[in-house]
Amino acid sequence: MHEHSLIANLLSRIDAIACQHSAKRVVGVSVWIGALAHISAGHFREHFEDGSRGSLAQGARLDIEVSDDPEHPQAQDILLRSIEVV
Amino acid sequence: MTETTRTIEVNQLARVEGEGALHLAIDGGQLTVAELRIFEPPRYFEALLRGRDCREAPDITARICGICPVAYLMSSCAAIEDLCGLRVPAPLVDLRRLLYCGEWIESHVLHMFMLHLPDFLGYPDAVSMAREHGDLVRAALRIKKAGNGIVALLGGREIHPINVRIGGFYRLPTRAELAPLRDELAFALDAAEQALVPLAALDFPDFERDYTFVALRHDSEYPMGRGRLVSSDGVDLPVARYDDYLTEHHVRHSTSLHSRTADGGVVHLGPLARYALNHDRLTPRARAAAAAAGLPPVVRNPFRSIQVRGVEVVLALEEALRLIDGYVPGDTPAAAFEPRAGIGYGATEAPRGVLYHRYAVDAAGLITDAKIVAPTSVNQAVIEADLRHYVEPNLHQPDEALRAVCETAIRNYDPCISCSAHFLKLTVERR
Ligand SMILES: [Zn+2]
Repeated sequence: MHEHSLIANLLSRIDAIACQHSAKRVVGVSVWIGALAHISAGHFREHFEDGSRGSLAQGARLDIEVSDDPEHPQAQDILLRSIEVV
Repeated sequence: MTETTRTIEVNQLARVEGEGALHLAIDGGQLTVAELRIFEPPRYFEALLRGRDCREAPDITARICGICPVAYLMSSCAAIEDLCGLRVPAPLVDLRRLLYCGEWIESHVLHMFMLHLPDFLGYPDAVSMAREHGDLVRAALRIKKAGNGIVALLGGREIHPINVRIGGFYRLPTRAELAPLRDELAFALDAAEQALVPLAALDFPDFERDYTFVALRHDSEYPMGRGRLVSSDGVDLPVARYDDYLTEHHVRHSTSLHSRTADGGVVHLGPLARYALNHDRLTPRARAAAAAAGLPPVVRNPFRSIQVRGVEVVLALEEALRLIDGYVPGDTPAAAFEPRAGIGYGATEAPRGVLYHRYAVDAAGLITDAKIVAPTSVNQAVIEADLRHYVEPNLHQPDEALRAVCETAIRNYDPCISCSAHFLKLTVERR
């Protein structure tokens, strides 16, 4: 259940940032997943591909870095690092 | 022509939002309303299932939740197998129990140590807790990983398994593939017993309620994938009669339905219920862990669910080792069957309690109607009642403190609706 809301939030941010920069499309998305974020890279990818259909980020390349440090200050979070646009 | 791409640095947090909302109304120092709203996807899935082949139901419903997909797979398979009169061979039943053990371990450890324990120790989240309790958090992550290992091997991947089908599996693991899990599980079993020690010393709120517990019960095992539906007030029914006992009603304040017994009663599902109704079915080390934690055979303090989950983690690890040691691959990965028309019923013990599925299927094997009752929606009425009792003495506190109190009480039940540190949209109306 929590994935739905997470991906929806992420995609709306990506769309908003792409629009601010008058981008036509988002071709790459780079995220960082904390060790305690309760989501695996594969699972995230699947939800992202599902959720991005029909958005500016449809078909975008996804770069995911998964941290294994539970003491990282953002270990429970998912960080949107950068997006690549055309 | 190549388009030029530009990279925009963002570095923003992605957040889980809008999953739960709680409305409190306080009138002259009295709490008059405590309404919890939760987002409930099963509704959409029930509609989506109509017209689909019944063999697709397990994979479709497994998508409802990333924390307990195995539970959805298992209840769905049980219902379709019931419908087709399919008997699953014992080695496959065992393998399913092993898979379920994996999910209990993952889900319980996540719930206990990452989401629930920080409340008791006074940290805003597991990360701040890790700074001072690094060893405990690392041990928890390793125990959880042992559970993930089972799900990854038997399910084909770590989250949203794809190797389960009606009648069994697509592919059976070899003994050689299961063997490497063993060492890690044995380590995790010792670590889980150790991790229960600091939990026994926690300062639990002095709060007990007289719940009607409902869980599955089986002749020979602590319930996971099968059993009859029993309650602490003497109900004992086959799963096919679930609807005679619990019915769902719309309530004005939530998109999810409220479950009630015929006489309007509210029931409590989950670890406390399973434990109270199946204490005699605990495995030896789980029973010893419960005794060492000072748990009586019936626990009525919902805050102590963190300890009962810990006992169930010990049990799941012990069971996983037993099942791996006894595993002999059968000659067939799944029992053969032909869909037929009828109604099938299935219930299994998801980490958060009984998960019930009912399907009506036509002669072509297509689903004409589906009903899925997630434990969180059944527990919603109990959570609201807990909140009413627990929040009452704290009403003078400012909203922020009140929110923390409410979140802790809700986290006794479900991390699915409370997975971010400050998930709760709390509205307080003071008159
Ligand atoms: Zn769940």
